[in-house]
Amino acid sequence: MIKSLLRQGEMAVLLALVLVILPLLLFLPPWLPLLVLSMLALRAALLRRQAAMPSLYLLLPLLLLAVGGLWLSLNTLVGREGGAALLILLLGFKSFESRQQRDWQVLLALGFFLAAMPLLFDQSPLAAVWLAISLLALTWAMLILSGEMVEGSLRSAMQALALSLPLMLVLFVVMPRLPGPLWSMPHDQHVASTGLSDSMEPGSISQLVQQQEPAFSVVFAGQAPAVSEMYWRIMIFDDFDGRRWQNVRGLSSETVQWQGGRLVSYSLTGKPSKSRLPLLEYTVTAPAGGVLEPGNLFKLARDGDELFRFQAQSLLAAHYRTVLSPADQDFYRHLPPGNPASRQLAQQWRAQGGDGAGFVRTALQYFHLDGFAYTLKPPLLNSEDGIDEFMFSSRQGFCEHYASALAFMARAAGLPARIVTGYQGGQFNPVGQFWQVKSSDAHAWVEIWLAETGEWLRVDPTAAVAPNRVAQGVSQSIPAMQPQLPGLGRSVPAWVLRVQQNWQAAGFAWQQWVVGYDAGRQLNLYRWLGLGEQVDSAAVLRAVLLGGGLACLPLLLLWRRQHSVSPLQQGRHRLVQVLAALKIVVVDSDGPLDILNKARRLPESDYRQLKALLKEYAAMRYRQPAGAQQVKQWLRRVKAFQPGRQ
Amino acid sequence: MQSLSLAYRQLNTLILGKPRAIRLALACLIARGHLLIEDLPGVGKTTLAHGLAAVLGLHYQRVQFTSDLLPADILGVNIYQRETGSFRFHQGPVFSQLLLADEINRASPKVQSALLEAMEERQVSIDGESHPLPTPFFVIATQNPSEQLGTFPLPESQLDRFLMRISLGYPPPEAERALLLGQDRRTLLADISAGLTAADLLLLQNKAAALTVTPDLADYVLALLQATRQERSYLTGLSPRAGLALLAAARAWALLEGRDHVLPEDVKAVFPHVAGHRLGLSGDALGSLNKLLDHVAIP
Repeated sequence: MIKSLLRQGEMAVLLALVLVILPLLLFLPPWLPLLVLSMLALRAALLRRQAAMPSLYLLLPLLLLAVGGLWLSLNTLVGREGGAALLILLLGFKSFESRQQRDWQVLLALGFFLAAMPLLFDQSPLAAVWLAISLLALTWAMLILSGEMVEGSLRSAMQALALSLPLMLVLFVVMPRLPGPLWSMPHDQHVASTGLSDSMEPGSISQLVQQQEPAFSVVFAGQAPAVSEMYWRIMIFDDFDGRRWQNVRGLSSETVQWQGGRLVSYSLTGKPSKSRLPLLEYTVTAPAGGVLEPGNLFKLARDGDELFRFQAQSLLAAHYRTVLSPADQDFYRHLPPGNPASRQLAQQWRAQGGDGAGFVRTALQYFHLDGFAYTLKPPLLNSEDGIDEFMFSSRQGFCEHYASALAFMARAAGLPARIVTGYQGGQFNPVGQFWQVKSSDAHAWVEIWLAETGEWLRVDPTAAVAPNRVAQGVSQSIPAMQPQLPGLGRSVPAWVLRVQQNWQAAGFAWQQWVVGYDAGRQLNLYRWLGLGEQVDSAAVLRAVLLGGGLACLPLLLLWRRQHSVSPLQQGRHRLVQVLAALKIVVVDSDGPLDILNKARRLPESDYRQLKALLKEYAAMRYRQPAGAQQVKQWLRRVKAFQPGRQ
Repeated sequence: MQSLSLAYRQLNTLILGKPRAIRLALACLIARGHLLIEDLPGVGKTTLAHGLAAVLGLHYQRVQFTSDLLPADILGVNIYQRETGSFRFHQGPVFSQLLLADEINRASPKVQSALLEAMEERQVSIDGESHPLPTPFFVIATQNPSEQLGTFPLPESQLDRFLMRISLGYPPPEAERALLLGQDRRTLLADISAGLTAADLLLLQNKAAALTVTPDLADYVLALLQATRQERSYLTGLSPRAGLALLAAARAWALLEGRDHVLPEDVKAVFPHVAGHRLGLSGDALGSLNKLLDHVAIP
């Protein structure tokens, strides 16, 4: 019986550690967390049976073996992945070394440290929720380990966490932010980053489109532009090898001029991919934190994939004028050999349409009328002349097929052309009042340079084939993409959509206010609170003192509630003090008669006074609970009691 | 109350130098509890039991427990009557107001549990027929802690049936001197007059049960119970039933002290004797309970 009570604490620690390690399954090679989890389970089994622990001579080689395996699968023992993996491995082995209460406390402390580990990989609200669960479990285990009864312990743990919450908030707000993330560690190769890739070939975007992950979110200041105007630029591809489009030029400088257009301001929050974040076309000045690259692309000043937030202004529907040197024009016209039929058709269009604008009209009409279909799963193009096959036989494709074909045709007709990839459109979230752009909004379109005006003209062949794609989004234009419940051929009910929107809104708020709370916002807050013009040590000290004091208020209130002293206890305390001055030591476990017994050597009159006081005290506490008035009078008499003064 | 103090005085002339043990024994009976006296032979266990019966005016029987004792030897047996052709129940020694069960741990578990059941139910069931025991009904059991050979120690669950466990110990030198010089105890016993009737005792019992216990005092009892549950050197903590027993004993003690309410001191006075056997402590290990009393603050 007593043994099982003792084991409860250890079991609670193991359980909490399991919760701490579980999320790491998502971020580390799964064999590792699984190994550690099974070690914890084995430890629990040993604990249950009170069996002997494996010896050090067995553990040591096993540890070396496990660390070796870790090295083989990660190639490192440091950095984000390596460090986390090594730590949880050591935790697993440490559990086999834990015998004393103290060892288990060390394990718990390690658990508190490891609980923050998933945040290095993921800063979403879900990660925070899991962190809260882990902390609760660890605090609970700490209570059980220290001998608390299981009953009501969860409540106590929650209370403890709730009491520490204000302090946590204050520290979150006032502690100085580092310019970069704390965990800017080298990234590991095996983690594939999502987002647009460095090159474009048939299939690269349609794959992306099938994911529903949020890419970035936007808040417009004032009226948002129409969905069909939202072309978010990320990358430009200027070289075609017959199948794949890529960027070889590295985009040298270009002289640009804008004309016309309508100014919109917006703030965008998203995770950069390869230091790039989308910009609405066309952006005049570079947003803070990055540079504007030729081709109107935004590149962040520093590497990293942590969430970035910036303000930008764009001129919608402006004329984007660039001077192209003859060499540049030739570069944008270059094509590999092949696809003779398409070349011929291009020449024909050029002859029909006359100038560049005429060519574009003819081309779009061709895509619009000549039986082209917009589909996520086009037939594979196998032949050498992929463009020919697409243009004349398969005629089914996704945006990358159309963009690729149109760019090829334009170049074949002698017009400088390039492909722009990014996102098109977005969904408005009425709950959070922001626009959410997802991976499924990934898109590719073409820019053709018109010699007559010196303008890069945006041409979106997909719009000609499937106008809905641009006007309403990809899910509206491909029936298979309309949200469906699995197994039921019916559309999603409205409440599911509402839940989705609310969830997105929560995520957005989280990103804006928690993850996006950076040095700039902190400075603003410091100024607003009048704590200082800079986040320097003096200001932080002020903030910590002020906030820490406020945060400790609930603790103080709790303490006062638990230690609130009744007037009767005050009176007893006073008597104890008076007696202590006469070297009569009264302890907390002494009752009124005990006190009287100890005070036997007092002079007769004092003793009689004390006896009367204590008798009344005993009666008020243990006979008939007294009214406030009676207690007050008694207290007055206690204060008047001054033994040893004759 | 007058008669109660007379009884107390009489007992003190019978058992010399043991006023506290006598007081505890009286308190135990006033709290309607059974008493377990654990001590060496010859320190006056039997004399105390005898004396208690005499001063309280109770009908008294004594059973010396041995390993070949049968349950029927205590409870009674149905005997065939040739004249009437039917069975008639012959009451065993348990049908008395005060039963002295001497060396209870020498009897087999079967006998022990038969007796302990009768103590709890206050009735005896034989052949499907219930025979109520007289009121008041007390058991004073004795056992010798040092001789363990051939004994059956009482299981913890049955120890719980005894409200208190006390031990007498050797008398102080002056008392022992007076004992040596004084009269034979058995003669003294015969001289003792019953100061109380069974009805008086019932009245006292009811009075004790009605003594005031304030929430503050209940908090103190609670603190003591919690302390025994948190103290890891005890096998188990005190049960809620033990808490009730503690309160009942403290009430009886307060009544003996002449108070109409219970003070923490009353609880402290009876605590080691109520808690000791329930916590599985030997009679010599009560020091830890006194230490516990010193550490638990009175709320």
